[in-house]
Amino acid sequence: MTASASASPEGPLAGYRALVDGLGGPTGVDEWYDGSVLRPGQDVVASAVASMGLTGLLEARAESRRLVEDDGIRYGGLGDAADRGRSWVIDPLPVVIGSEEWAALEQGLHQRAELLQLVLDDLYGERRLLRDRIVPAAVVLGHPDFVRSVDRVPGQRLVVGATDLARGADGRWTVMADKTAAPSGAGYAMANRRVTSRVLADVHRDASLARLRGWFHTMAAALGSAAPVDVDLPRVVLLSPGSGSETAYDQGFLATLLGFPLVEADDLSVRDGRLWIRSTARREEVDVVLRRVDADYCDPLELRPDSQLGIAGLVEATRRGAVRLANPLGAGVLENAGLVAFLPEVAHRLLGEDLLLPSAATWWCGDSAARSHVLANVERLVVKPVARGPVLSARFGWELDAAGRDDLRREVEARPWAWVGQEPVPMSTAPVVTPAGLAPGRLVLRTFGVTDTERHHVMPGGLARVNTDASSSLVSSMSGALAKDVWVLSDDAAVVGGWSRATPEAQPTQVRLQRRVAVAPRVADNLYWVGRYAERAEGTARLLRVADDLAEDHAQRPGTPGATTMEVMVQAAAALTGVAPVAGQGTVDHLRAMVGDAARTGTVAHACHRLVLAAESVRDQLSQDIWHVLSRLDRTLERAPSPRAQLRPQLDNVLESLLAVAGVVHESMVRDQTWGFLDGGIRVERAQHTLALLRATLTSERPPVIDGQVTEAVLEASESIITHRRRTTSGEGPAWPLHSATSLLLLDPGNPRSVAFQVTRLGEALALAGDPVLVERCEGLVSLLGALDLDEVCAGDRAGLAAALDTVARTLRELSAELGTRYFGRKPPSRVLLGQWGGRG
Amino acid sequence: MSRQGPEDFTPRRYEVRHRTTYTYDGADVTSCYERGFLGPRPTPTQRVVSNDVRISPEPDLVSEHIDHFGNRSSYVEVRTPHRVLEVTKTSVLDVDWPQVDLDALDARTVGEAVAELAEDADPVEHATYSLPSRLVAVDDSVADYARSVLDPAAPLGQAIVGLTHTIFEDFTYASGVTNVRTTLPELLALRQGVCQDFTHLALGCLRAVGLPARYVSGYLETAPPPGKAKLEGSDASHAWASVMVPGGGWVDLDPTNDHLADSRYVVTAWGRDFRDVSPLKGVVFTESGGSSLDVAVDVTRLPSTGDLT
Repeated sequence: MTASASASPEGPLAGYRALVDGLGGPTGVDEWYDGSVLRPGQDVVASAVASMGLTGLLEARAESRRLVEDDGIRYGGLGDAADRGRSWVIDPLPVVIGSEEWAALEQGLHQRAELLQLVLDDLYGERRLLRDRIVPAAVVLGHPDFVRSVDRVPGQRLVVGATDLARGADGRWTVMADKTAAPSGAGYAMANRRVTSRVLADVHRDASLARLRGWFHTMAAALGSAAPVDVDLPRVVLLSPGSGSETAYDQGFLATLLGFPLVEADDLSVRDGRLWIRSTARREEVDVVLRRVDADYCDPLELRPDSQLGIAGLVEATRRGAVRLANPLGAGVLENAGLVAFLPEVAHRLLGEDLLLPSAATWWCGDSAARSHVLANVERLVVKPVARGPVLSARFGWELDAAGRDDLRREVEARPWAWVGQEPVPMSTAPVVTPAGLAPGRLVLRTFGVTDTERHHVMPGGLARVNTDASSSLVSSMSGALAKDVWVLSDDAAVVGGWSRATPEAQPTQVRLQRRVAVAPRVADNLYWVGRYAERAEGTARLLRVADDLAEDHAQRPGTPGATTMEVMVQAAAALTGVAPVAGQGTVDHLRAMVGDAARTGTVAHACHRLVLAAESVRDQLSQDIWHVLSRLDRTLERAPSPRAQLRPQLDNVLESLLAVAGVVHESMVRDQTWGFLDGGIRVERAQHTLALLRATLTSERPPVIDGQVTEAVLEASESIITHRRRTTSGEGPAWPLHSATSLLLLDPGNPRSVAFQVTRLGEALALAGDPVLVERCEGLVSLLGALDLDEVCAGDRAGLAAALDTVARTLRELSAELGTRYFGRKPPSRVLLGQWGGRG
Repeated sequence: MSRQGPEDFTPRRYEVRHRTTYTYDGADVTSCYERGFLGPRPTPTQRVVSNDVRISPEPDLVSEHIDHFGNRSSYVEVRTPHRVLEVTKTSVLDVDWPQVDLDALDARTVGEAVAELAEDADPVEHATYSLPSRLVAVDDSVADYARSVLDPAAPLGQAIVGLTHTIFEDFTYASGVTNVRTTLPELLALRQGVCQDFTHLALGCLRAVGLPARYVSGYLETAPPPGKAKLEGSDASHAWASVMVPGGGWVDLDPTNDHLADSRYVVTAWGRDFRDVSPLKGVVFTESGGSSLDVAVDVTRLPSTGDLT
């Protein structure tokens, strides 16, 4: 921070004012202060700041970070633990915009949306703008986002859009960039609101501000209205590049807000020139795709052949009018910085109007006079490529040394049509909460719009980003900018496009019927694995907790029955997890490795990590509540207990979180096909775990003392020890421990931990999935278990028990393999065959 | 190379048969999506009499549209599992190319033509074929070569013929040395390649000096060696360049054969470079590990000569 913030004795506001006054360099206006006077509308938040003081602000900041972590709001890819994306960072102080100013901004955005649509229609139609030389043809035809394969496809509507704005030196909002290809951030805007409204609950309640929820209903309806034919219930999907995408959170949350399924390329295929969701149960046609995959990657047949994120034939499907993409392929050409130079003239031509929102003064270098101007003034201009390129490709002339400027000049001269020069926009400052007090950062506002068949609707709010260094002109999420909520004041509800300050509940309820969309194999697969990994983590944690208790009591007493029991249980855990002790590793360290080493398959941490990945991939299918629990689980596992501490407290915490996961799943999911796959995963995993545990512990004959203790440990690890004791004491159950355990854990259809119980439930889950064939096979397994005679199974040297367990386990494995084949089948690998090179010519 | 004489400028009728066969090893292709140019475009030098396309196995969908460049582009979907896909196109065309009036072209220098085109040509067409494209990217080495073969002060007609001849002389025809990813600087270093490469180089030179130029994909009738019968399937698809000249015309030049186009040239499609007009490309879904591609082309002169009207 150049202007170092200092805690002022007069409170955060005076300290902030002093810092703003002391800013050097290009001076933009400040969002809060006009000289020493607070701007109108800012008093609501400013007076709260005054009463909170720095302590209160820092508490709010900490609270905001905690909420972000709980909700799992992230920016950046979701990779392995090491390169998981950064947390989204929200500054607790919102940007407040008065209703009058907002109304004017909205008018400008409406005009811009209308204009961009007309430009799009022209560029992929008549191209009068180019033929009449209003816009130099090379500006458009030399731009990589001009997609020739969608030329002359009719009815391409810019349904969604976003606009990045900053204030110029005169305080007017100036357009920095139009986002027309696949704009991101509406989900983040809502996430910011949720966090900020909780952190500043009192202020939020008292401020008369426009709510956001209604706009998402409008967006959903607008997307539906883009359907190519007038269907009653259009099917809309959000096409994501996957949970590894930088804005995966935004995509998943947006899908949830809109109520549309989040899909990936593998979930869709083109048949007969139409787009379908791939599903075992039934094929369903897709009418509209909200696209978050870059245009280039959408179809390996007609666009980038190396894309794994697209659907072969998608371009043809749009060409035939069978499906509409929002936004259409090729819309990215409007993000062209070169176009900006000609936009005022284009507005005159197409609308007969002046642009209401100015852009930064821009020179397109393809024009020789403009190029000379840019090259002569490099040191005070922003020079940037017309197309999106690698990160931070804009150069700030004043930050370059002489050699850097020469390099830049050469680059521009080599491909002049690919560059523009722009006057820098100073950008306004807004306060950011820092440990040293409020500090000014430069602000960029992103607004969002949707267009339905009638008109354009601007979200009454937006996504503000602010850098933490007011001397820098760079504000982007990639470079670590903070996010801020945007509050649009609405003293008169009518002023802000009819959005009243009423709570969402009080708004007229829009009952939007939606088709239930078929469950695609990737979704089914991930739901199944959410169930399996959650259950695997739980089963393993329970087993390790028992082993850890035994180690605590008996590890120091080798040769005792307790120590032998401990060894049996540790070996069982090693067999079930596949985590063998490394040479020289003591029992305790071995147990620790089985809990915490996320890199090793089989550990509790590994299962939890995979659980999170699977859940991330089906974010739109799961309750929001699950993320709090999963992030707590993550934190629990990150804190390894100190070397001498027992594992139990950590395992207790892990189990508590996993029980909460089970609670969320059971209490918030509708019992449909989706649930069927998830619960099916739980049942298969629990049954297999129990079978493997019994096989690893009770199928060897041991002295009765040890046998009794092992059996008790197994029953405890299987959450059935209480029932066992009660039954034994009251004489209800079998007298022998082995008989009791086998009865309780294998055969008892009433024990929710028994194999028989799991198989019955699996049958029910498969019935929900709609598969009579697999249900029948499940019923066969239930009968097989029912036909087992307890005394016979437990008789003799336990070979009978081993054989029975093996038979059941094998049948179950076959059943689950069949489930995979039938429901989780991905597309076979695809290959691109390019044409022949050479031949005669 | 094929020699050129006055007899090559007489009107004639051709049947062009082009069969593409993909064979997959080990496993079925479960679905297949193809895009290709399965019908020749009508041009001032050719009339399409008939066009017949057969695909085996039977496709689930075939549809055609006119693409950005005015070509007839076809989409094919085959969902019948198969190990062999065969696409056969049989076109009958009447072809008649005029001799280019080089003297008329020579009335202007290259530089004058460049200035005139920038002023008068349709801006969209001018920019489309002037800007670099993926396979025709002009770097310093290409610009240097262009300067050495295209003098702005030279008469336009001579310059076009000179460019055609220089590339023919400077490069050796050799298949298997280059591929669809070979760049122009690589080609300049290799000094050998096939018709697509020579065409891309000609385009790079023309565009480098400011003349719009496009890539033409098609066929060339070839003569068997003297005294031998022509073998079935022995022809091939061909590619050459076409340059925009003042007055709304285009001149087609074939650097592979060192002459301008004549009535042995049958046009399929044109675009900025090979990528825009790749005869047939596809995406297949299969567990199969390998595949092979076989192409057989026959360009046969038919007895009846059509009249171009």
